[in-house]
Amino acid sequence: MTASTAERPAALAGGRARPAPDRRPARRMTRHRAVMLLFIAPALLVYTVMVIAPSIQSIQLSLTDWDGINPAYEYVGLANYRDILTSDRFWNATRNTLVLGLGSAVIVNAVALGVALMLDKLHHAQGFFRTIVYLPALVSGFIAATIWKYMLNFNFGAVNTVLRDLGFEGAAMDWLGDNEIVVGVLLFIICFTLGGNTTLIYLANLQSVPQDLVEAARIDGASRGQVFRYVTWPMLAGAVTVNMTLMMIAGWTIFDQVMVLTAGGPGFVSETMAFFIYKVGFGEYRAGYGSAAAIVLFIVVLATTVLANRYMRSREVQA
Amino acid sequence: MRNARARSSAAAVPARGLSRRSLMQSAGGLSLAAAVPFALTACGTSGGTTGGKTAIRFLYATGDETWNAVAKGVADAFNAKSATATVELEPLPAGTDYPTAMKTMDATGNWPALVDMRDTLTYLEAGKLAPIPESVTSLLNDEVYAPVEDGEVYIVPTTALNGELGFNMVYDKDYFDEHGLAVPATYAEFVALLDAIKANGDAPLATAAGEIWPSDQLWKPLAAPVFAQYSAAGGFWNAVRAGDASLGDLREPLQRLKDLTDAYVLEGWQSTQDAQTTTLLVNRQAVMATSSAGIGRLNDVNKVDPDFNAGIFYVPADDGRLNVLKNSVNGDTASGFAISAQAQEDGGQYDAAVEFLEFYFSVEACDLMEATGMIAPNVKAADEIERNSSIPGADDYFALLADPNLTWFANETTWSGFSTFHTFFRQARIEMQDGQTTIDECIAKSQEEFDDQAEQE
Repeated sequence: MTASTAERPAALAGGRARPAPDRRPARRMTRHRAVMLLFIAPALLVYTVMVIAPSIQSIQLSLTDWDGINPAYEYVGLANYRDILTSDRFWNATRNTLVLGLGSAVIVNAVALGVALMLDKLHHAQGFFRTIVYLPALVSGFIAATIWKYMLNFNFGAVNTVLRDLGFEGAAMDWLGDNEIVVGVLLFIICFTLGGNTTLIYLANLQSVPQDLVEAARIDGASRGQVFRYVTWPMLAGAVTVNMTLMMIAGWTIFDQVMVLTAGGPGFVSETMAFFIYKVGFGEYRAGYGSAAAIVLFIVVLATTVLANRYMRSREVQA
Repeated sequence: MRNARARSSAAAVPARGLSRRSLMQSAGGLSLAAAVPFALTACGTSGGTTGGKTAIRFLYATGDETWNAVAKGVADAFNAKSATATVELEPLPAGTDYPTAMKTMDATGNWPALVDMRDTLTYLEAGKLAPIPESVTSLLNDEVYAPVEDGEVYIVPTTALNGELGFNMVYDKDYFDEHGLAVPATYAEFVALLDAIKANGDAPLATAAGEIWPSDQLWKPLAAPVFAQYSAAGGFWNAVRAGDASLGDLREPLQRLKDLTDAYVLEGWQSTQDAQTTTLLVNRQAVMATSSAGIGRLNDVNKVDPDFNAGIFYVPADDGRLNVLKNSVNGDTASGFAISAQAQEDGGQYDAAVEFLEFYFSVEACDLMEATGMIAPNVKAADEIERNSSIPGADDYFALLADPNLTWFANETTWSGFSTFHTFFRQARIEMQDGQTTIDECIAKSQEEFDDQAEQE
């Protein structure tokens, strides 16, 4: 017997049970948990009814030909999935989603990190500049997109008007109507809107980098670049994981900007998966088909997020 | 002192943490708070009561300013007059894909009592519409409404049923006079007109596809000659469904659409909104603009610039005919007022909706519509209505109605899956116009989509 008596339950140890001191914390803990559960219950109830249950139901609907209006529908097996996976329109939407999701994640993180580094070095009016950087994130995506829509209007928009007035007539473009650039324009607008939160997370992490490590590196003769490469950057690994994950999910599910700016057009060229789901599910009376597309989107988001997270977590361990 | 003690004892609580009782009370309160939204949701109706009157909501698509003004003007007049009901307007702003928004609103389970209906058959088959009583239909001319299989009428028109005669070109009359140009009598003359304007160094035509639906404005008159061939046989789309026609039969109009877009349409059409074409015309950035609002668009032009001398014409076919689609009074493409089944369940809501429709088709309301710039619906008391001929260019519209070349055709769709295809076909055409696909590809993918939808019926 290597285990000490104290480590074994009293009854097994053959001694008298000591109920009062041992059970009270357990009972208190149970009560505490019950109270905590009661606190969670309202949110959990709402979340279950509003999110989880409909999400599970969409699996069932994805196997039907439901039009979203008529209560009558029939089961069609995997026909919706077959149609989706053989649809050029769906794959175009998938490609756009990946471009916007990955593109915005990489660009926003790179720009936000650069801005956060600059803000971190600021000694005067840091609050002012932090506010300026964060301001676009305070405007709803819908409103921001509406403003951009006016600014980028081909005939009357501020951007083209300025370009024409400055003599750059050839540079005036149909920013939201040219099929060759429209996804890039969407990417730019998404990055512009979503950068604020990312910058603040990086800034918070930068300010928590231990200065003694930085100073030690400098004393050892490390250049600024080397300090960043070997001290600051590894310390930011956690923030990079969080920011990349959040940005990718935001990019995968991008909807409002597409809805306002291009409505998926011209034609189908700028449709994203989230917009595609909305369009077929609501606009084209194919709720079953739209549900199947939503399931596919869920799988794509889950798979890519898990893979990306796994890679970034491994990087954190190395760091 | 009592307050001070209370404060001090309250202040002591955080130091020890929340007591079990207070935690339980807080948790219970939160649970109750969570239940409130559900209770409120359950109480949601298609209206309510305002100042003792039954309030009903009227959902409609904003488009041209004239229709917006008519909806507001008639609702205000009704609200001032009715002792029992009030109409609250629920406009869905321009730029919204209206059928999509309508469906989204339906999904909330909180439909308005009165709906400016689209994709009618889909909602009718789903049991979402209530019958419109004879007290309303008896005010209308018999040819502008029709009962469905169950003998009930579910949709009545919001305006005069002049078919798609409003799908016309609005043009700058002064420009035409200045350059010796005339309204074309054939399609060849139309192309020659576009060439002449282009030769002057001006942009001949502004059109819009920023929203999807205005893309019909240029397309429909071009396709009308083909559609018209199938009018007597039940319509083109029904013929395609029966295998007697195919999307390939639309190759020529699609080619014309592409040619016009490439050669004559003002740049930026892909992102231009419908209402912006008025501005482009009035700013003289284009000599003509597509429209689907008929006199309503002339009224808009007049409001923007009273000095602008606008006229309208309909794009003629090769043989000079003006092939114009007749309104469907039933079927999936029928549009107009509908009363929701949700309002019928309420009873009071239904009565209020019926009262509003009775007012809408009264001479008083029709006079108001005419004064605002819209042609009043085809009511039996039409002779009593004071017609408005003061809108510049309106004479052109009435001349079209009397034109001997005017040929009405029918193209009614009797299956609800057409709505799905229709949206797809519009986008596929825009894609083709934009050069992303060829005409053959557009036809092939549209035919495939049509067959898929037909198969699912």
